[in-house]
Amino acid sequence: MNLTLFLHTLRSNALRLLVIAIAMAAWGSLMPLIYAHFGSQFRDMMNSGLIPKQLAQFGGGDLFSLPGAIAIGFIHPIAIILSSVFAVGFATAAIAGERQRGTLEVLLARPIPRRVIYFTLLVCAFIFVAVVIGAFLVGAYLSATVNGVIGEIPADRLLVVWLNGLLLFGAIAAIGLAASVSFDRLSPALGITLAIVLVSYFLQILGSLWPDAQGLQPYSLFHYLDPKAVLTTGASTFDFGLLAGVALVAIVAALVIFPRRDLAAPS
Amino acid sequence: MDAIETTGLTKRYGHGGPPIHRPGRKQAPEAPPALDDLAVTVREGEVFGFLGPNGAGKSTMIRLLLGYLHPTAGRATVLGFDSVRQSVQIRRRVGYLPGGIALYDSLSGERLLDYLGGLTGRPSTRRAALLDRLELSERTMQRPVRDYSRGMRQKIGIIQALQHDPDLAILDEPTEGLDPLMQRAFYDILGDLKRVGRTIFFSSHVLSEVERVCDRVAIVRSGRLVALEDVAALLKRRKRNVEMRLAGPAPKLAGVKGVSGIHQSDGRLTLSLEGDVAPFLAAIAGAWITDLTIEPAHLEEAFLEYYADDDARERRGLAGATVMPLREEPAQPQRAQPKPPPTEAPPDAAPKSKPARAKQADTP
Repeated sequence: MNLTLFLHTLRSNALRLLVIAIAMAAWGSLMPLIYAHFGSQFRDMMNSGLIPKQLAQFGGGDLFSLPGAIAIGFIHPIAIILSSVFAVGFATAAIAGERQRGTLEVLLARPIPRRVIYFTLLVCAFIFVAVVIGAFLVGAYLSATVNGVIGEIPADRLLVVWLNGLLLFGAIAAIGLAASVSFDRLSPALGITLAIVLVSYFLQILGSLWPDAQGLQPYSLFHYLDPKAVLTTGASTFDFGLLAGVALVAIVAALVIFPRRDLAAPS
Repeated sequence: MDAIETTGLTKRYGHGGPPIHRPGRKQAPEAPPALDDLAVTVREGEVFGFLGPNGAGKSTMIRLLLGYLHPTAGRATVLGFDSVRQSVQIRRRVGYLPGGIALYDSLSGERLLDYLGGLTGRPSTRRAALLDRLELSERTMQRPVRDYSRGMRQKIGIIQALQHDPDLAILDEPTEGLDPLMQRAFYDILGDLKRVGRTIFFSSHVLSEVERVCDRVAIVRSGRLVALEDVAALLKRRKRNVEMRLAGPAPKLAGVKGVSGIHQSDGRLTLSLEGDVAPFLAAIAGAWITDLTIEPAHLEEAFLEYYADDDARERRGLAGATVMPLREEPAQPQRAQPKPPPTEAPPDAAPKSKPARAKQADTP
């Protein structure tokens, strides 16, 4: 890893990271708040049959248990968008964006192997994702404490949820970086990564709302993010292993592609 | 040890292998090489000009030297290191100014130079002197790069390439965007670097600056080397334009060594003069000359002559053959001369991919 590049990347993204982390913490604090104040009403509505069962289980979460509320906050589009600012936006722009702007020229002119450049940016991407996911859980923890419902979950398992989220969005970031080192322009790298995220998300939500489509869920990366299960029954080694495997494949692909590819003069 | 040495360096974009033949299917034409069998040697301590029009292969050559591209064939060594396997070692000792440089706009000039200097890992020993020479004040360096003019960006580009005192500077169109005063300052910087034994590889299409600062020059066209010579020798062999006004009979110049293209009208005599001037001066001694002008040979004329010769050959279907630039051959209309196959090239033309003319010139 190159320390100068690492510190420069952290500094350049510090403000953006702060804003996204605050937004994620605020969003994370909202779910326990809603649960603490309206959880029982939601349960009554659910039991009355007014709300279809599937709608109450959006993305594997619910609003009448604290683990379910945290899970629904995690899988909600707002959380996905905020997490994707770094997992998709930063990762895809890290190389392809610099190449498109032409600034990669001066970076590559330094005596730093391409693998080191890639690895440094990968570490930065994982740190950004870790902070954003961490901010959500800190917000949720503080809100649950303030609202007096923290006793409903084993608080130490929030760390396992954090690891689960980090593995999911880390895998997405690794895919984004692999796309980034493969293209000369940002749009194809961004397009491919976004397509993977959107299709994956669509399959997961579709499967959670429509029982006949449940068979599609294993093809979604989001299927392997299960905060409710982690907080109630414990972590699934298979889920964690699969997400780590996807990240590893993307990392190996990038490490093979980037040093070998030709970088012609930017047009 | 040579600073740069390339042998048979070839770069073809798109695919590595030969086109696959599929019977019954139209064969896709093979892309022409961006660089074709280039053999160049740059000696340590010299200022080497790499000339050619846009798209000739100048940037491809530089990118191959720095390991941005991988050669399709041949090899290159820079400061003794292989350009493919040891590109990091090369970049540790090289300063590179890319053509049309892009910089990190959000950083100030000073932060940018600090950042790039930090990535290089060598102390920026020349920065203060370069800032002074290129007239970049401390106040200017505190401003964000986004506020800089094109010339100021180019100055920053020059400084980032040279601030760590590299053994070899590879500069792609370095005076682009600089005003004449700053161009002069830049030439002075190059002079200083040369005096302390640094090597400069200088890509440009501004012929006057190459003529001014370079010891040797290579000329490329369509990825092929068409000439590699000392600038002084090149200029010496170029024809000078001579004009004289006469107050009496014209001196007898026909047959005088080096004199050609004599034209006389209304007491004005013009001619071309090549090589040693002594026979010409002896021939005009005693003539009634009221005015005499001998225009110095410019590299531009030499350059255009190379290209004119190459054009003529291309029109006659000898695009692959290396030209003999000093021979004047009249261009033949294409219809009058059917395109012969390459094997029918005249004996003075070297076979394709063997730039014999250039290689000979390169031999000390």
